[in-house]
Amino acid sequence: MQQKCLQLLLLALFVYALTGVQGIDVPRPRGVSLVKAPLYQPQPDGKWNCIDGSKTIPFTQINDDYCDCADGSDEPGTAACSKGQFHCLNTGHQSVDIPSSQVQDGICDCCDGSDELEESQCENTCLALGAAAAIQRRNEAELHMKGAEKRQEMINRGKQLKADRSARRSELNARIKEQELLKTEKEHLKATAEALESEAVEAFKEQQRELDAVTAQAEQEPQQMRQEASLTFVRYDTNKDGFVEITELMVDMNLDRDRNGVVTVEEAKYFLDERDRMDLDAFITLAWPRIKPLKMLADGLFQPPVPTPAEERAPQQDNTKEAEQLDPEPTGEHADMDVPDEEDGEDEEQYDDEEPDVGVGEATPDVETTTAAPIYDPETQRLIEQANEARNAYEEVARQIREIEHEIKELDEQEGKDYGPNEEWSVLDGECYTFEDREYVYTLCPFDRVSQKPRNGGAETTLGRWDQWVGEGANKYSKQKYAQGAACWNGPQRSAIINIKCALEPRITSVSEPNRCEYYYEFETPAACDRDAYTASAQSQHDEL
Amino acid sequence: MRCSLFVCLIIGALFSYGAGVDPSNFKTCEQSSFCRRSRKVQSSGSKYALIRGTLNTYSDSLTADLINKENHHQFTLKLEALVGNTFRLQIDEKQPLRPRYRVEHALKGKPETTRISVQESDELTITAGTSKAVIHGDPFRIDFYEHDVHVVSVNAKNWLYFEHLRQKAQTPPEPAEGNDQAHQQQDHQDNSEEVQPASEPIDDPGAWEENFKSHHDSKPYGPQAVALDFSFPAAEILFGIPEHADSFQLKSTSGTDPYRLYNLDVFEYVVDSKMALYGSVPVLYAHGPKRTAGVYWQNAAETWVDIYTTETNVVSSLVNFVSGSRKSTPPVAHFISESGIVDAFIMLGPQPLDAFKQYAALTGTHELPQAFALAYHQCRWNYNDERDVTSVSAKFDEFNMPMDTMWLDIEYTDGKRYFTWDKFKFPEPLTMIKNLTELGRHLVIIIDPHIKRDNAYFFHQDCTENGYYVKTREGNDYEGWCWPGSASYPDFFNPVVRDYYASQYDLSKFKTVSKDVMIWNDMNEPSVFNGPEVTAPKDLVHYGNWEHRDVHNLYGHMHLMGTFAGLKQRDPQQRPFILTRAHFAGSQRYAAIWTGDNLADWTHLQHSIKMCLTEAVAGFSFCGADVGGFFGNPDSELLERWYQTGAFLPFFRAHAHIDTKRREPWLFPERTRAIIKSALLTRYSYLPLWYTSFYELEQTGAPVIRPLLTHYPADKEAFAIDSQLLVQHRLLVRPVMQQGVSKVDVYFPAIDDKKNGDYWYDVDTFQRHERAGYESIPVTDDKIPVFQRGGSIVPKKERQRRSSKLMLNDPYTLVICLDRQGKAAGTLFLDDEKSYAYRNGESIYVNYEFANNQLTNRFITKPLYKSDAWIERIIIAGLGYVPIDATITAKGISQKLEIEQRSNGAIVVRKPAVKMNVDFALKLNAA
Repeated sequence: MQQKCLQLLLLALFVYALTGVQGIDVPRPRGVSLVKAPLYQPQPDGKWNCIDGSKTIPFTQINDDYCDCADGSDEPGTAACSKGQFHCLNTGHQSVDIPSSQVQDGICDCCDGSDELEESQCENTCLALGAAAAIQRRNEAELHMKGAEKRQEMINRGKQLKADRSARRSELNARIKEQELLKTEKEHLKATAEALESEAVEAFKEQQRELDAVTAQAEQEPQQMRQEASLTFVRYDTNKDGFVEITELMVDMNLDRDRNGVVTVEEAKYFLDERDRMDLDAFITLAWPRIKPLKMLADGLFQPPVPTPAEERAPQQDNTKEAEQLDPEPTGEHADMDVPDEEDGEDEEQYDDEEPDVGVGEATPDVETTTAAPIYDPETQRLIEQANEARNAYEEVARQIREIEHEIKELDEQEGKDYGPNEEWSVLDGECYTFEDREYVYTLCPFDRVSQKPRNGGAETTLGRWDQWVGEGANKYSKQKYAQGAACWNGPQRSAIINIKCALEPRITSVSEPNRCEYYYEFETPAACDRDAYTASAQSQHDEL
Repeated sequence: MRCSLFVCLIIGALFSYGAGVDPSNFKTCEQSSFCRRSRKVQSSGSKYALIRGTLNTYSDSLTADLINKENHHQFTLKLEALVGNTFRLQIDEKQPLRPRYRVEHALKGKPETTRISVQESDELTITAGTSKAVIHGDPFRIDFYEHDVHVVSVNAKNWLYFEHLRQKAQTPPEPAEGNDQAHQQQDHQDNSEEVQPASEPIDDPGAWEENFKSHHDSKPYGPQAVALDFSFPAAEILFGIPEHADSFQLKSTSGTDPYRLYNLDVFEYVVDSKMALYGSVPVLYAHGPKRTAGVYWQNAAETWVDIYTTETNVVSSLVNFVSGSRKSTPPVAHFISESGIVDAFIMLGPQPLDAFKQYAALTGTHELPQAFALAYHQCRWNYNDERDVTSVSAKFDEFNMPMDTMWLDIEYTDGKRYFTWDKFKFPEPLTMIKNLTELGRHLVIIIDPHIKRDNAYFFHQDCTENGYYVKTREGNDYEGWCWPGSASYPDFFNPVVRDYYASQYDLSKFKTVSKDVMIWNDMNEPSVFNGPEVTAPKDLVHYGNWEHRDVHNLYGHMHLMGTFAGLKQRDPQQRPFILTRAHFAGSQRYAAIWTGDNLADWTHLQHSIKMCLTEAVAGFSFCGADVGGFFGNPDSELLERWYQTGAFLPFFRAHAHIDTKRREPWLFPERTRAIIKSALLTRYSYLPLWYTSFYELEQTGAPVIRPLLTHYPADKEAFAIDSQLLVQHRLLVRPVMQQGVSKVDVYFPAIDDKKNGDYWYDVDTFQRHERAGYESIPVTDDKIPVFQRGGSIVPKKERQRRSSKLMLNDPYTLVICLDRQGKAAGTLFLDDEKSYAYRNGESIYVNYEFANNQLTNRFITKPLYKSDAWIERIIIAGLGYVPIDATITAKGISQKLEIEQRSNGAIVVRKPAVKMNVDFALKLNAA
């Protein structure tokens, strides 16, 4: 009898399913969308073809809780067919198709509750959800509207920047030509002066051979200076990215010009010629002349005459190459891991290999006090001074050329970056944004780099350098990739993906590391508020409904 | 990468990634004093004899005294007959200086004994039912017979070796008691071993203290090893004694180290190795074409097992067959333990399944798990935060793949303080848990036994104040290093400590979980990063003043007892689910196991089957391996094959190391995704079979997965096959475990010596294989060869759901594969899949029988469970004709049912629609 009852129940279900469905007037089986309703008509003989044509079954076997069709089309309203789809009409909200596996499983998946039988007592939440969705859409539209204004400003500024760069590039082209001419002239003057000088000096030398060595040393000086500067650069560039940055200078207390115990950003910036960072060439020409005197001062005051390793080596100096940081005495068992807290990234530093002693301190013996200049006769002295002036003049021109070349290089680099079809992303280049979680401060400097720094101090680790836009298809400008970050120990180089959304104020909303050494930033900026694109996508969504 | 960078650095510095374990971190027999000492007896032999006149007989047992004729030390022997063809032999010192440890808690209860009759002549003959033991007095030996077939001998090789407890000799050395004139020469390599009786350990430099690497073992009680040999005259192969990453068949240890049983956390273990691993189950079986027997060596101290077999091959078995003679010597197993007593259970079969059940009768079985535990588990070290957990769960739905359980590894805790949560990553655990359970899913979290030594941590405070920790020799709390840094280890041997620990699971204390959250006990060997061999020093002191040496292999077991009690107290209505890494005999009563930290490598995939088959016959049917491999990154093909294989092991969980790439199924290309989904759906479709199998495991002790020899004991070619497994006696599974193959050789076992086999039907195509022997079966990316035995009926559920819980009321499919006589039978068990109500009869346990074109059901127990489920289709393969329709008769009402056709002549009876608790008869109507 039970079996009979079951069948009656199923029949009742079927009738219910076939007719009074959800108050819409097109009769169709349960779980079928309006669009597909015409496919569910019985043939005159009461038969029906599976939609894939694989089989003919009695129309009454539709939704009879037994899967007859290979494509699952005969059971749109039950869970009988694994490949089936159930259509939630969701009047008042968005219609959706859910897999048959979610039909009648005791969980209300459709907001109208149509996927479950009545006894499941699903509430119809479509109206509320629909209203909420409408509000959200409105808010989003509004956001895109407002954001679009900001974006327009960014576009304008971006275009202006592009024009400025272009103008500046022309200007620099002209200037470098001028300077090249000037350089030729100065070179000539220098050569003349040096010829005279060398003649006089040679003569003088004949009398005072013992000064030869000294002269030779003096000639080595620029070379020596370059070397000192390079070594210092390497020491400052703790994250090994080929640039010295403000933060990297801030650890050197020698640069605390006002002696207040803190190297401020401003102080650091002074040494970087008011820039945020510098490559090696710029450092040698622009920064080193400013830094060196302080170093020498520090050395003169605080260094014993015997060269020793630099004491000011900052504990934060972390070259991030973790492979070098291994305990030098591996012992072959977990056993010796006496580690206070393995979670603490800072511990890496304890294992920082001591770097070779190339410190600034001992590498700059005080040239002026140890080398007594010879006393020339007045005529020779005059010629030497003239030659010095000529040399200085020449050096000055050469320096200016290097500076211009450096700027040109930077401009060309920027020109090579993709700031978007309307230059709207351009103004972000040079900005930096940070996000703090419990352990780290994450930084994003768009078009430049992303990095991570422990909150409780410690070295900054580069997570990646600007690589490219990686959004898919039409959304190319929704995702950035930064690659070639500091290598993970025994793993890949770190990299980061930046997901970008529209908002009125730029900010990072979250950072995660779902894969080892692969970081995900969620970033918001008005630059992403493309009203036209939003309207188009909203329209297409609406069409689907 | 951030969470434990430092640990990675260190571990990486010690072991180069992917190269595998450094064996020099673990002892060889030669580096272990007691193993070295005990093994010597194999060359010299020992001289033990029964002392006449000391015999006492009781209704179910006898006792007698034994003497070591070399040093005249006396021992007491007890031989007891147990119900089910089993004897228990115990040998202890007659008057030990201090008590020797006897294993507790491994047996499920006091074994039931049976009556014996004793005949005394030159030998003592003890008869119990169809089995008997014959004790020879001098030299001491016991031969065991089953139906008068000699199947086991004890001490036939005279390798009994029992180091009695003694006082440490003072310097200058005093003559020891008895005739022992040996001197103690600790720092001197002994060169005179030839002339010393092998039974005297005292010469060994490690007898009274021992060093390994930088670790010192103080050995205050000196030498106390026990060793005994077992011969199996009716056997050809030996198997058992997990856990080793090795073949199912035990290999001869002649010229190699013995198999080692010592629970160890082995980092990146290698396969084809006799090295110790996480678990130790000292049960061994000996099998021959006519007889199977087993020995359970109940000892929880470090144990080594030497195996001597003539490795059989086709030629030698042919020679034996032709000559009709037994080959040279029977296989021998020599058990060597560091301390304790001889406590051996001799199980006399006679058939494999009998022996497995006899062992289950001693140590118990896993109880029927909740259905979700048999479904698919998704794990990773680590799901980082609540959002991660929620989004992984949602992705399974997005890709319409079933998944039952999400797992959280150590990073969910607040600084590896168990019973706490990281409040930043998991601010609202209850909400997260509810989001899972609302979809019928579960959460499993890890609780390890090491306790962070942090004075602000309540658990540490309690243990410190109450003296709950394991102690050093000096009586201080032992401190070791583990995940939390400095850690101590609760002494779970103390019932008070177990109670305390169990009470922590109470929801009034552990408020941030629900009663649906289950537990994973890892690192419970115990793992101690800075301890000898990455575990606890042997001279630590436990409850009852026992040394860690005596109880080491039981530590994880005691941890599990606490967890199991805790979960039961937390919710008496719900069956606990626990996963453990360490295990001992009997741990199967509390937990499932997995094969530990394996590698994403084809050889490890192959070993997942070998290892779980061995575990299954040793009581641990609920076994699986990390799908995908724990260390390393599997490529698509390996991952696909691993899912397909894992779907046919009882415990089915994907897991991955924190340094590996994410590998949730949807992160792979469409093709791989589809294959994995198909493997998952296959698993879910067979859940009724798995569930029934586990019920029958609990009822009978018959393993859920079985080696071929279980049901084909006479087929010698099947003995060593460990690339195939049987699920009960219904499915034969031959996973694809090689890269890039388009066919695999499947062995269809023979039921007699004329190469007759069962019918086997391919479960995908119903193609029938009729001949025994190897057959090459073509495979594709999405196919592994799985066959249903002709003669069996398999219950399935073929509807897809998000999780097993949502399938509870879904209808069943019965797959009937007919044997040569056109018959088949098979059972189905169902209940609420969660509570203990089945123990009060609230279940349906039914046997389906097909014969004479008719299917009937017979309720084995009264069907008291109210189920909404029904039978939606019946598939019949091997019928040989297509019926025109079928008639089902239930409760006096008959009704016609349609017949559909499937491939290879299989037919489907459409929609019988009969409820599970209704008697029916279904008749096929021929044209």
